[in-house]
Amino acid sequence: MHSYVRPHQYVVLRLPSEFTKIQKIEPDSTVFLGKFGSFPANQIIGRPFYLTFEILDNPDEKDGSCLRMIPAAELHAETLIAEGEGDGDEPDTNEDGTPMRTNREIVDDASTQKLTWEEIEALKREAGGAGREIISKLLESHQALDQKTTFSLAKYMLRKRRKYMKRFTVLPLDVSVLTNHMMEDQGAARIMEMRDEMIGLLGCWGNVHHGGNISLDDAIAAKPNGRYLVVDDTGGLVVAAMAERMGILYPHDGDDYEEQGSSDEPKKGETEQAQDDEQQPTEPSAGRPVRPAHMSASGNSITFLHPNKQPNLSLLKYFGYNQDNPDETHPLHTHLKTVSWLQLLDPNSDPIYAQEPEVIPDSELYTMKSNKRGAYHRKRNRWARVQSVVNEARAGEFDGLVVATLMEPSSVLKHAVPLLAGSAHVAVYSPSIEPLTELMDLYSTPRKTAFINRRQQLKEQKLQQSTDQDDTGANEPQDSELSELMDEFYLDPTLLLAPALQNSRVRPWQVLPGRTHPLMSMRGGAEGYIFHGVRVIPTQQTIQAAGNPSRKKRKVLTQQTPTPTVDSGSGADVEMKS
Amino acid sequence: MPSPFLTPGAKSQLDSLALLSLRRDQTIPTILQLQDEKNPGYKEGKVTNTRFGSFPHSTLCDQPWGSQIIASKVDTGSRGRTQSKKLKRKADELDSSTQAEDKWTPSPQTPVAAASGFLHLLYPTPELWTASLPHRTQVVYTPDYSYILHRLRARPGSTVIEAGAGSGSFTHASVRAVFNGYPSDNQPTKKGRLGKVCSFEFHAQRAGKVRDEVKEHGLEGLVEVTHRDVYEDGFLLGDPKTGKSPRANAIFLDLPAPWLALKHLVRNPPSGAESPLDPSSPVYICTFSPCLEQVQRTISTLRQSGWLGISMVEVNNRRIEVKRERVGLEYENIRGTVVFPKSVDEAVERTRAVEERSQLFRAAQNPSDGESTPAPNIESEATKNTSTSKPETETLDRRQEPEIPVYKQGRLMTRSEIDLKNHTSYLVFAVLPREWTEEDERRCREKWPSNRVQESQGPLKSKKQLKKEAKEQRNQEKQAQEQPETESQRE
Repeated sequence: MHSYVRPHQYVVLRLPSEFTKIQKIEPDSTVFLGKFGSFPANQIIGRPFYLTFEILDNPDEKDGSCLRMIPAAELHAETLIAEGEGDGDEPDTNEDGTPMRTNREIVDDASTQKLTWEEIEALKREAGGAGREIISKLLESHQALDQKTTFSLAKYMLRKRRKYMKRFTVLPLDVSVLTNHMMEDQGAARIMEMRDEMIGLLGCWGNVHHGGNISLDDAIAAKPNGRYLVVDDTGGLVVAAMAERMGILYPHDGDDYEEQGSSDEPKKGETEQAQDDEQQPTEPSAGRPVRPAHMSASGNSITFLHPNKQPNLSLLKYFGYNQDNPDETHPLHTHLKTVSWLQLLDPNSDPIYAQEPEVIPDSELYTMKSNKRGAYHRKRNRWARVQSVVNEARAGEFDGLVVATLMEPSSVLKHAVPLLAGSAHVAVYSPSIEPLTELMDLYSTPRKTAFINRRQQLKEQKLQQSTDQDDTGANEPQDSELSELMDEFYLDPTLLLAPALQNSRVRPWQVLPGRTHPLMSMRGGAEGYIFHGVRVIPTQQTIQAAGNPSRKKRKVLTQQTPTPTVDSGSGADVEMKS
Repeated sequence: MPSPFLTPGAKSQLDSLALLSLRRDQTIPTILQLQDEKNPGYKEGKVTNTRFGSFPHSTLCDQPWGSQIIASKVDTGSRGRTQSKKLKRKADELDSSTQAEDKWTPSPQTPVAAASGFLHLLYPTPELWTASLPHRTQVVYTPDYSYILHRLRARPGSTVIEAGAGSGSFTHASVRAVFNGYPSDNQPTKKGRLGKVCSFEFHAQRAGKVRDEVKEHGLEGLVEVTHRDVYEDGFLLGDPKTGKSPRANAIFLDLPAPWLALKHLVRNPPSGAESPLDPSSPVYICTFSPCLEQVQRTISTLRQSGWLGISMVEVNNRRIEVKRERVGLEYENIRGTVVFPKSVDEAVERTRAVEERSQLFRAAQNPSDGESTPAPNIESEATKNTSTSKPETETLDRRQEPEIPVYKQGRLMTRSEIDLKNHTSYLVFAVLPREWTEEDERRCREKWPSNRVQESQGPLKSKKQLKKEAKEQRNQEKQAQEQPETESQRE
């Protein structure tokens, strides 16, 4: 997977201040890290991730290298030493157990540091040793250092190190790192304040996973696996997270296994389609290799529903996928399909879908100029693509629905839930609880009961009317029935089983010898909630059965579920669940 | 056989696991079979009995997933009597009555729909399975494992080591995370590998149970269960000394003393055996310990053996109940409501009414006592007024009620579930980078010369800017061709 830094790849550089910076690593360029200095990108290309480097003041004479890899032992040196000394359990205590050194004598005073501001600035300019020199000077000239307890000294050192050490760690840019970066450094609002743990939870409750290599069993199943519906207003973060779970996010996935050991080429060329199980990588022919068409994957695909004409998937650029100019070798090229809500609900209003470009016979085509011919093919292809993608989306039978939207979640579920296959899971994220409580209410048990009763009532009415008129229309009035029901209930509450709401938060701790406690501060803001339900296919028969249940049975059932209905007798049969 | 967890298909199939969802948090896992060897005697074949009725498996098979299934009339009373007829006298007596019932059912095999009761037929997912699995040990629940797998970068194609298979909830979740295809014999030599979970369990019986589950759930080849004490014998597959390396990318240790297992999880084991880790990728680890002391020892050992990015967190998860709470005096005799004034106005009104009534009552009790006793005719008038007005308001209330349907009454409220899981375990995460030798570094420096820098890239430029620049450059080049002298001068 992420085994080494590839050229032209985005990586994350973590600085001593815990600040993270997204950086595209172009060969033969220089990377600037502000006050921490700069270094040539070539010096980290090809190196493994998670290593920490120190920027040296004097580049190596021989080959100009100015980075030093810091071994793990050195990074952990201080904590390991502290652990070695008396196990750190009860540090600095007298015989009677009281702490030997306290902050009783310490007066908060700027005069303890003898170096002036100007002197420190001068040090910053001159001192070498990647910041270590400055720190040791600062310590030397600190007056009250001997008064500090071990812990406060350690804290002081840490603070100074964060400020002056010229170190950085190279992290692979994956969804988790990107999420943390967005939450810390960039506008968290852009990703709807979605924390890392929420992304993990959302994917699990949505049951999002790889669709598998359906080769042998394909004929039996007759249904492509792993088709997910995603509504994402975070600029592509949720799409990226789901693609990561489905194994279609990283273009070089699986390459490492083969390459290991050999000193690999920068890249053997873009002819390698990474781990795409349904489409066998086509043999690169002499000319331009034949590729599977844009958005053509049948399974293991994401259908992205977007509110505007164009989808906003800007964050995908960090994973090497540009929506406007998609890289044909990227797995998302075939596996990510975009459909606007207009195309989904009223495709004939969409000009691209509805207006088929005229078919020009081949004979005429040959006479055209090449750029005109290209434009013609592009238009035809686009129309065909939109047709197939939209038709496929409208046909439904999706395996899961994952939502993180700024719109009303209820409006999304109203239209998206009917498109799911039975037993598919629905997971909705919202930064605040109110939109989701509304959703819970829309799928509440009393509502389900009322809905079923009302539908039954309407059906009987219609049946009477139709029998009055003629017999043929007895089974027809489904649609009008529904519209009346929908006016009253907004959405069909019987389609979702066991609606549940939860919230999750990760609490980080500091674990140091003798100093273990939860971190003093963490991010507040939106709490973050997840709604979950399972799409089911309600039977029409129950309603008939509910009409005349035996007295005894009804009693038993109402006991099982104390539901807050007024006339629990009538709704007992449909209420026993969820 | 494809696993119903990973590729359930469109319909339920015989001999595969299905979940029967009765209500929230009440799901029965069952293997769909027409006949039940362990429990014969039903005319309908294998039957699952629930509090909401009996469900012959013939009604559950080959149904679209998610279907609502109606309970059947199943004679649960006479079960087993066919064999033990001669043993029990009483059974014989009763048999005549059941035979009479037999005439009622049209055919012995096809089940008859019951008047009420139903369930939903769902395909299993790790989440539903975790909620319904048979507990053998402490279970790793969804909020924890979702975060763990996300942090462990367990993605399609990864190999995960799990030590302490326990109840198997993490096993199922991790196999879903790494799954990217079933292994087959004629596997094409494609790049990338198939995701796999290597599960280790030192408890023989539990290991056997997990192995059975893996088989029943169609996960064979995706999960490899090894009965092993990993503290002693490490993580190689097969033989502990000479076995094959699982080449793990991610490790999850749910052990009482994870630090004892860490000595095996190194790049170059001192014993000279093969490392169980994937040499070509960073390796992520997570340990799951309920106590802080365990965490401290684990982290100390991790630091000593060169793991980086060590962090410890705990996950707090709350399930939230949403209910409509109905408070008001009009909800008298309605279940699930609070009969209490819903506002100050209502309280004042009620108190006033009560006060008035008690005044009248007192007046009626002892009319001679009071000095300022109201005239009896007024009193009777007053009683008339209240007695007429009271029912009026009541009927008003009743008339208003049907206007707001029950499901819209009251106010929407949220609260945490009653049984809160306050602490599950502490999660320790760390990463071990790929090994990097001086030889690797030398080769890398040759390929990517350290000091080769073209030009410092300033802030990112827009496409327009780039085009403009390219144009300028071209112009310059043209000029340079025209006047080579100036070019050399410039340089």
